[in-house]
Amino acid sequence: MKLTRRKRNMALITMTPLVDVMMILLVFFMVTSTYLDLDMMPMVQSEAEGTAAPAGPAPTLLIRITANGEARLRGQPLTVQTLVSALQTAPNARVLILPSGGSNVQGLVSAIETATQAGAENLRVVRLEAQ
Amino acid sequence: MMKLKRRSQPPQQETIVSLIDVIFFLLVFFMLVGRMDATAPFEVSPPVSIAGESLPKGGTTIAVAENGALALDGEAIERQALLARITDLLTEKPGLFVRINAHADARLTNLLPLVTALEQAGVGDVVLVVTPNPV
Repeated sequence: MKLTRRKRNMALITMTPLVDVMMILLVFFMVTSTYLDLDMMPMVQSEAEGTAAPAGPAPTLLIRITANGEARLRGQPLTVQTLVSALQTAPNARVLILPSGGSNVQGLVSAIETATQAGAENLRVVRLEAQ
Repeated sequence: MMKLKRRSQPPQQETIVSLIDVIFFLLVFFMLVGRMDATAPFEVSPPVSIAGESLPKGGTTIAVAENGALALDGEAIERQALLARITDLLTEKPGLFVRINAHADARLTNLLPLVTALEQAGVGDVVLVVTPNPV
């Protein structure tokens, strides 16, 4: 006796569970992601990346940040022009930023921004010790 | 008068293939555009600067609140415990990348000694998070 297997109908692949899973993933990524446009400023760089300290004494420009966040160079308010002209008189100068403990992060970031725009290459921040 | 009979159409199956396409497109879009960061337990609006460089992904994030409170990868933590955790992370991964997400109005006495402590702990790569557009 010959038994013939009954031909099965081809099962239709349903797409609905796939859409459900993708919808869940979509909502997950929409909710958990943040969409802030963020940049960075280096504070500590490893030795390989950091600029080597020049041999011998280099002229130093000192930028003070007052307690209310204003940056001052030689008693004058710091602008890109004043720093550029100061750097022209003393090329390869080290630019030191001396922040007051009472100033805020925005004051420091603005001073670094001005110094970067003026083309200061050897820029350092005088660190405050914990009080 | 001739009677026109509209041919009865077979019921069309709704195709959801196009829906899948759209959802898949949106999914890829949000995966690429979004940045998955652990959010700090307090509000942090980073300082504004146009001189920043692009921020690489990955690494460990330290958040500094306006009042000086600290958080490591979204969890509030005390300063000593934070430094201990960073030391532990450094032994696991020597080239640790640390991002400091400080509030724009946080005092520098809460930020700069922390940077010094991180450097003394052996962290070679510390960056300060800034934003080119005010939040």
